[in-house]
Amino acid sequence: MFIASVLIWGCGPGGKSRDSKFQQYLVQGEELYLKHCSNCHQKSGKGLGLLYPPLDQSDFMDQNLDSVICLIKNGRSGEILVNGKKYNQPMPGVPLLSDLEIAEITTYIYNTWTHDKGIIEVNQVTSILEKCATRQ
Amino acid sequence: MKYGILFFISLLCLSACKKKDKPLPIFGQREVVGNDTVYHHIANFQFVDQDSSLITNDTFKDQIYVADFFFTSCRMICPIMKTQMLRVYEATSDIPDVKLLSHSIDPEYDTVALLHSFAERLGVSSDRWHFVTGVKDSIYKIAQTSYFATAMEDKSEPDGFIHSGAFLLVDKQQRIRGKYDGTKEDDVNRLIADIARLKKEYE
Repeated sequence: MFIASVLIWGCGPGGKSRDSKFQQYLVQGEELYLKHCSNCHQKSGKGLGLLYPPLDQSDFMDQNLDSVICLIKNGRSGEILVNGKKYNQPMPGVPLLSDLEIAEITTYIYNTWTHDKGIIEVNQVTSILEKCATRQ
Repeated sequence: MKYGILFFISLLCLSACKKKDKPLPIFGQREVVGNDTVYHHIANFQFVDQDSSLITNDTFKDQIYVADFFFTSCRMICPIMKTQMLRVYEATSDIPDVKLLSHSIDPEYDTVALLHSFAERLGVSSDRWHFVTGVKDSIYKIAQTSYFATAMEDKSEPDGFIHSGAFLLVDKQQRIRGKYDGTKEDDVNRLIADIARLKKEYE
């Protein structure tokens, strides 16, 4: 089992598995998450009622990494469908976050609770952010 | 010497018990008029809740209630306050004479329709938890002068307002009996315990 998981990690999107850089992203990401996100989405990632959608077990997150990265920075309003439920509370973005900080937050939320996606690198975030900036 | 210590300990225990039975404090200034003491109480108010019902002091006649100040688009402390107020709502679900009153400090944006949807999405019932909107200045004034809470506009703040995260416990005579930090779980535990204590005063 251990070997299998190591193998999966080796091939997974995380690339170099849980190395020190990944750990650092997780630690910084948690700190930033607690500062900017957990008020609404809760420390547990469970959200609150139908006001703030969950991050733990979220089909929206599973399918929309690019949108998630864009909305952390730019915010988002209008209806959003998460796990078949409609949410409609505008989310303010945090435009002051650097690309690295967004990569850390994204890495944290995609590798906590039930998620296990591996590291999301800063250069990946930068190229995604460039695209969402031109779309707007 | 041994007995001295024992005596001291039992005194401590006694005083601890006494403290528990002591009634909750009554906040604010008091005046003595003739033989009566007049306590600070909540001034007259008139707001509209998420069902467009008129909410006044009479709504809380013979009721204990918990008040706070928030706005729906706030991302700083309000979501924590709502998480904690939801705990109070759940903890008091089987106490019929305990109500909750959340005032919007951004009443122009927080319309009745918006508050209705907010409450519905939080999954709470309007007969126990009123979300009210009204004239902005009246809300700020009652916050500051009746509830000793901070609520005002401030364009330099990230969300445009400054306000305290306080929860205020109000008794059936509309006197403030407790002030709690609505962003701290421990303080809200104390509030839940104090509601039970306050209820005992009326038994």
